[in-house]
Amino acid sequence: MSRTIVTLVGKDHVGIIATVCNFFAENNINILDIKQTTVQDYINMILIVDTTGYAGSFDELNRGLEGVGEKVGCVIKATHEEIFEMMHRI
Amino acid sequence: MVELREVFETYEMVSHENLDVRTITMGISLLDCIDPDLDALCEKIHAKIVRMAGRLVEVGDELGTEYGVPVINKRVSVTPIALVGGAACKIPGDFVRIAKTLDQAGKEIGVNFIGGYSALVQKGMTNADRLLIESIPEALACTDCVCSSISLGSTKTGINMDAVRLMGDIVVKAAEATKDRDSIGCAKLVVFCNPPDDNPFMAGAFHGVTESDCVINVGVSGPGVVREALTKVRGESFEVLCETIKKTAFKVTRVGQLFAKEASRRLDVPFGIVDLSLAPTPAVGDSIADIIHEMGMEYAGAPGTTAALAILNDQVKKGGVMASSYVGGLSGAFIPVTEDSSMAEAAAIGALSLEKLEAMTCVCSVGLDMIAIPGDVPATTIAGIIADEMAIGMINQKTTAVRIIPVIGKGVGDTVQFGGLLGDAGIMPVNRYGCADFVNRGGRIPAPIHSFKN
Repeated sequence: MSRTIVTLVGKDHVGIIATVCNFFAENNINILDIKQTTVQDYINMILIVDTTGYAGSFDELNRGLEGVGEKVGCVIKATHEEIFEMMHRI
Repeated sequence: MVELREVFETYEMVSHENLDVRTITMGISLLDCIDPDLDALCEKIHAKIVRMAGRLVEVGDELGTEYGVPVINKRVSVTPIALVGGAACKIPGDFVRIAKTLDQAGKEIGVNFIGGYSALVQKGMTNADRLLIESIPEALACTDCVCSSISLGSTKTGINMDAVRLMGDIVVKAAEATKDRDSIGCAKLVVFCNPPDDNPFMAGAFHGVTESDCVINVGVSGPGVVREALTKVRGESFEVLCETIKKTAFKVTRVGQLFAKEASRRLDVPFGIVDLSLAPTPAVGDSIADIIHEMGMEYAGAPGTTAALAILNDQVKKGGVMASSYVGGLSGAFIPVTEDSSMAEAAAIGALSLEKLEAMTCVCSVGLDMIAIPGDVPATTIAGIIADEMAIGMINQKTTAVRIIPVIGKGVGDTVQFGGLLGDAGIMPVNRYGCADFVNRGGRIPAPIHSFKN
């Protein structure tokens, strides 16, 4: 399994999660967990996904997410989970 | 399972607080390239650098994309060239050819600096050492990415004052050779006392002779992250202050450790060390002077600054040591002037003097760094400044360095613009009283006594 954390930041509106999830479905990426908070009108979300079945490179994944981000007016980025484990766990 | 808060803390560090991996530096031994024929030597050097570090930039960028933290610099350090070129080089111009070879190889593989145009002369100079030192002005003027460092003293050997005096002249000549570019040659030249063999930072990086054939060293950064963390503990006790720096340094260093391990795995080169350094850049907020300000000083340089820097340096090491399996290099807080916009501002308004910077070097990780001084400062005075800094390192058993830039044609009140990571700043005044009779004595300062520590 190749666990990747996808972060999403932006102004909340209807359809953000649907659009993002569709992108994952189309690219054979399995969503393992979703966590989110909204502060006033803004949404902070992380999706933990398994990219084992994804055919492209990490760079292509990020560019794809950038495209989705532009569509829904949010900043979306993918990062390997390991960096968060390293920084926040002993 | 990672928490939302943790993910966004990392996200904030990168997007707003300038968290980055400052450098992935590949150390390459050139000892096996030694050849008495200069053409063959240059060919072997070029071939080995390109073979070993050909994928360095690609892997650095790849890691930056995958882990979301940019790798700002990809660099190469090599065995001190005075050792490698000794058999082949008969005149300073021969060493310049090696410098050009390094420059060409560096450009081909896309690294931004290649360090190791160096000589280790802390006790004495061989003929090759002297030829290399004499070639430095031309070598730095006719290359772009080559960096030079000279070791002039150590706690074990004392200080080679002949070499210190010679370097006073060389610094002035290097400035003159690049006077059309604000004497930028001197920004690529540093002199050391007690230099580490595994430093990944420029201009002082070289691959020590005790190192293995090829190694990956990583330098982390993160002054902006530390400053931001400190804004949340304003007015709290020193205990809270120290704990906050330590915890932040731990997180920053973990990033370096991850990148070092991963780069080492992907390049199939052993992992050397992580250098736990707070290295500023001219970017707003990415500043050591801002941390000192946040700790309570009106400006860096105000009374209390040395104590604040001592705390910062020590806590960064304490936090970082546990975060990495191997720590080395210069590890600590850097205090360059031109490369740190708030430090440059403190110098411009007179809060920070050369003498205060010298005091700060007693407790920081390196020394007098990136300081622009008037172009008419005599070589003997520069040798005196170097001697002072070497003495601090020798007596206190620490690394100290001098990277000072006499800007030809400019004086106090003028400014220099180096651009990029080297930044810009005003010219700082230098004590006008001479020390020529002292530095011209010749010979060595004996090694210090290791007892009666008072």
